[in-house]
Order: sequence, then structure tokens, then C-alpha cells
Amino acid sequence: MTVTSIPVRPVVPPPVSRRTRRLGERLSPYAYIAPFFVVFAVFGLFPFAFTFYVALFDWNPIGDRVFIGTDNFTRMFADPRFWNAARNTVSIWALSTAPQLLLALLLAHVLDHARLRFALFFRMSVLVPYVTSVAATAIVFAQLFDRDYGLLNWLLGLVGVEPVDFVQSTWGSHVLIATMVTWRWFGYTTLLYLASLQAVPRAVHEAAVIDGASAWQQFLHITVPSLRPVIIFTVVTSTIGGLQIFTEPLLIASGAPLTCGAVRQCQTLTLFLYEQGFGQFEFGYASAVGVALFVVVVLIAAINYLLSTRIKADR
Amino acid sequence: MALRSPLLLVAVSVLIAACTPGTGGGGGGDGSSFEFWSFAAIDQRASVDAYREKHPDVRIELTEVGTSVETAQALTTALAGGEVPDLVLIQGDDLPKFVQQPQNFVDLRTLGADDVTDDYLDWVITQSVAGDGEVLGIPTDVGGMAVAYRTDLFADAGLPTDRESVSALWPTWEAFVETGKRYRRATGKAFTDNAATSVFYQAVNQVSQKYYDDDRKPVYDSNPQVRAAFDLGIEAATAGITARQASFESAWSAGMAQGEYAAVSAPSWMLDRIRSVAPDTAGKWDVARIPGGSGNWGGSYLAIPKRAQNPQAAWDYIREMQSPQGQLDHFGRSGALPSTPSVYQDERLAAATDPFFSDAPTGKIYTDSLLELKPFYIGPDSATIGQEFLNSITNVEQSGGNPDTAWDDAVRNIKTAIGG
Repeated sequence: MTVTSIPVRPVVPPPVSRRTRRLGERLSPYAYIAPFFVVFAVFGLFPFAFTFYVALFDWNPIGDRVFIGTDNFTRMFADPRFWNAARNTVSIWALSTAPQLLLALLLAHVLDHARLRFALFFRMSVLVPYVTSVAATAIVFAQLFDRDYGLLNWLLGLVGVEPVDFVQSTWGSHVLIATMVTWRWFGYTTLLYLASLQAVPRAVHEAAVIDGASAWQQFLHITVPSLRPVIIFTVVTSTIGGLQIFTEPLLIASGAPLTCGAVRQCQTLTLFLYEQGFGQFEFGYASAVGVALFVVVVLIAAINYLLSTRIKADR
Repeated sequence: MALRSPLLLVAVSVLIAACTPGTGGGGGGDGSSFEFWSFAAIDQRASVDAYREKHPDVRIELTEVGTSVETAQALTTALAGGEVPDLVLIQGDDLPKFVQQPQNFVDLRTLGADDVTDDYLDWVITQSVAGDGEVLGIPTDVGGMAVAYRTDLFADAGLPTDRESVSALWPTWEAFVETGKRYRRATGKAFTDNAATSVFYQAVNQVSQKYYDDDRKPVYDSNPQVRAAFDLGIEAATAGITARQASFESAWSAGMAQGEYAAVSAPSWMLDRIRSVAPDTAGKWDVARIPGGSGNWGGSYLAIPKRAQNPQAAWDYIREMQSPQGQLDHFGRSGALPSTPSVYQDERLAAATDPFFSDAPTGKIYTDSLLELKPFYIGPDSATIGQEFLNSITNVEQSGGNPDTAWDDAVRNIKTAIGG
């Protein structure tokens, strides 16, 4: 593209004193970014800081607020429901993250293939689950996995397997939720990997083919190494996302939604927080759980920072 | 202006966000108009329209916030620091949380509630009375209890089918469970939907004291009446007479349509639910008395928040629409069962029948179930305690929990939850 000169009409500046104009020029950038920061301060920063304050109280939203120091935290560490929720969260995270990232890796490798036809169509369609509402996904999956009327159990029945009660059993509910999370996120992760793969020069692949490398060898020695930074990134983001899984467990056990079932078999930390805050009106205790969750997320972010700086150093 | 307008925009949008859903303010204290928060699908609109017709000068701003739980949450947020409505509908299950904090509501005695409290069933109005006798809510309707059963399935199992003989099958809950076993032996199929709500929840509400004693001390772990109801629930859960479907889940509805349950504990409002989820079963149902003879599930209250701008207009509405006559008219419009026993003999209610349920005299059956109930104290943790008992029974029924330790598990979970 060549640069063409565009005729510009001279702008006559309004008669403003120099000083006012300079002040306006200096301040206006802040005005442009203000909308985000003001909204963030009101809806993000303030509630965040306030949570730490509320966590020190026995706080009933429509009743008394009594300062109790760190009692909420002492109670939390002794609360079997908290540890149960923590275990469930980790289990669901592990069951969803590993298959999701592997699936995305393979898909990205295939979608990156030079001879793939309708590549754009396939690349776009992996994103469809991501744009579907979580609530709709949860309702459909809960029906697919239903004990008595679900499609999956019907198929299992055809090969003579007894119906599995996914929602009411611990591992079953975890598998169900992990499937939903994987379904929702694998397309997004695939596209992240794909974008990164496209930055790898074609010539590298061609050279490998000339040297006689198989598709698997190309995957192992070209795809995976060139994706290392973005793999670390997705592991961390999906871990932080995994710690906050909420809608799926809330929606699958509609008989006891706030506990995700009769024995809290799939209650995650965020759902436990919600149950305490909005089911029991124990805002103080719920805030304490929120603070604990925050600490865990910060720790994981720190690990991410260490890992990614190591990778940069390796290069 | 370059500096100011984006900031202004933000300020305005923040203000707008902070005001929803309390915008409007319901007429700003002019005395003849008020703002009313209700939940959807309970047909308060019909009442509001009827009131508007009689009082064209009154302006009512009705907001159907969402489900009953969502309405209670919106009310909580509003009470904690927002704009409150003048009148709000609160579902019975959500009421105790608010009754524990009476300072948030107008004591309706100051508006003349003492003149009308005797109109309502004593065990219903008691639930909205706070510690020092403040009357915080007026009951709008109750559920009543009966058992809806499938005459065709009963006939297949060799059980009687007419409602008098069926009622005679189960004078007590023990007899109900026995009938279930009989049905199971004859057909090999489940008898009822689940043990938690169809057995335990009903039996535990027929007591004279529930989770607290008359001195308002928690006795959930020592009250033999609670223990007996719990053991019944466990027996039902382990006897194979339940289809193990939690009430109102989508599979529960599917089971209803498929004829998986021969008998279901049904409050009056559940009849509509059965009608809508299993329309093909019309005429195959009938309604019998609940074991134990009495029961209730559901019902709502109208309350006026303390900071309401138009308490008098809201009270005038309550006074007129929730009078015995007003509730009877509302029954005619919506089928909601009145909480005022003086109209139970009225033809419109006593002679009401339901063709979907083989013309069963539903008006009489349901009102009869309300008269024998005794008032018991509902405490701050009653809902939590009840939920843990229900969960423990569901665990035995559906997740393979150990029935022998179920009681101890439930009591331990309750202690964890309420910190006792």
C-alpha cells in the first residue's frame, strides 16, 4: 500500500488560553480511561476490599453486625464442609483441565494442518460451545446424564450396564461437571493454541517432512515446544477458572441446589460461599471463605509467574 | 466538557445500577398509591387488578421479582440498604429469617392488626409473630395436604380405588408405608416419588413441638416426635417403595407423566403442577386424606417494610384483599387456599371439585387437613435443621448412605451448620 496525501483543511483553534488547553490536554487521557476505572473501583475494588472487612464480623445483612476478629477463619479451618468443598473443587478441576488441554492441543494441531479443507469453518465451530449460555449447557447435560431418563444411561443400558446415578454419586457428579466445563472451554483453548501455532513458520514443518518426520514426531517436536508459553498460560487460567466453578454445580442438582446434592457431593468452594452468604445469611463467614479463595488464587498466580519467568530465561 | 461528560455518564450509569429494582418509589408517599413486590406465578396480579377496579384512585406498582427465593433475596438486599417496597410477599419458608429481625418491618398492630389476627388459622398467623408479639405479616394462603393417587394403578395392584376406602388404608404414616410395601409386592414397582418430601416432611409437620420446644430451646436431637418422623422417612427410603425422584426436578416431572408414582403427597398447589406435567393422565387421579389427617406445605405472607413510604395504603390493601371474603374471592380467581377458617363452610370452597382428579371434593379435603394442625415454634435455624434431615434421608435413598448412621450423621451435620 502506498501512502497518499490527504488534503487537510486547516483547523482554526478556538480562542482558548494556552494554559487551559495544556491542562485539558494533560487531563483528557485520564477522562478517556476513567469509565473503566470508575466502574472497576465501584464494582470491583470496593467490594473486594470490603470483603476483608466483613470477614471479621458476624454479619447479618438485615440484622446485627458483631466484630469477632478471626473467629470466622478459625471456624472455617475446622469446618468439614469447607474441606469437602475444597476437595470437590480440586477433583473437578483435575478432571476437567487435563482432558480439556489435551483435547485442545490435538485439535489445534489438526486445525493447523496446511491441507485441511474448510479450515475456517472448523476453526469457528469449535467456539460454539463457548458462546452457548452455561445455564443451557447445564440443563442439557443434566438431562443427558439423568439416571432414569438420560440418553447416556439408555446407551449404557443397551450394552447391559446398570444405570449410573451421576448426580447423586460423588465421582459421577464430578465427571458430569468436568464434562460440562471441558465442553465449554476446549474450543477457546484450541483457538489460543492455534493462534500460537500459526506463528510457527511453515518452513519448519516442511523441513521436518523432508527429513522424514512422522506426523506424531512433528507434533511432539514442533507443536508442543512452540506452544510451551501458551500451555502454561492456559493451565493457569483454567486453574483459576476451575477454582471458581459455580453455575454448573448450582444447576445440576435442582433438589438441593445450594449444596449440590444431599451430601454436598459436588459443592464447590464458590457454591459453599454462596450457600453461606445467600442461603444462610452469614455474610461474615461467606466473606472469610472468599478471602481464603483469594489467597489460593494469588498463590497459583505466583507459581505461574515463577514458571513463566523460568521459561523466558530458558530461551 | 471533554473532561466532564464521560465522568457524568459513569456517574449516571452507576446511579441507575444502584437504584434497580427500586426505581419509581411507588408514588413517593402520597398515601393512595404503593409499590408491591410479589413473586411470579402466584397470581397476585389478579388480586391487584380486582383491587384497582374497586379503587380506581389507587395506583399500585406491582413488580413480580422472580421466584419466591429471588424475591426474598431482593428484599434482603433492599432492607440492607436500598429502596424498599411498600408491600412485599414472603413465602412461608423464607419468613423465619425475617421474623428473627423484626426491626426491619412495620409492626402491623400499629395499623390495627389486632382486629383481624383472629380471622386466620392460629398456627399460620403465629409464624409471623416475633419475639415481643409484633405482628409482621398477614397470611395470604396456605397449602393444605392430601395424597393424590392413581386409581388405575391402585386397581392393577388390587388396592381399593374409591377415596374413602383409600383414605382408610392409611390412618397413620406407618400404614402409608405398609400400603407402599403391599403395592410393591403386587406390582414390583415404586409406590411414591421420594421419602424425604412425601413422607418425612409431612410427618414432621404433624407434631406438637418440632425442632424447638415451647421455651424456644432447640430440641431437634432429643424430640421423640422428630425422631419418629425421621425413622419413618428412613424406613420408606429403604423399603424400595420410592422412585427416588426429588420433588420438582425434571426427572420427577417425567416420572409423573410416565405413571411411575401411584401416590404422591400433594399440597393443594401441587394439583396444578401434576396437571401441567402429566396432562395425559387426566381422570386417572383421585385425592385421598393425608396420613395423620392434617398437614400443610407452603403459603405466603404480606409484610410492610419499616422504611416503606406508604404503609397505610399497603395496609388498606392487606385489610381488604386478605379479609376472609377477600381470600375467598381470590380462591375463586386462582385456586389459592384461604388461610381464614370462617369461609371453609362456604359453598364456593366446600363444594369445589376437580375434574382432573375424578371430581374429588378438593375444597373440602384440603380445608379439613388444615383444622387439626397445632402451632409450634419455628426458630432461627429451623430451615437449616429441616434441610439437613431431608438431606440425610435423600442420602440414604439415593446416594447409598448408611441408614443405621443416618440420624447421627444428620445431627452432626446440623451441629456443624448451626454451630451448636
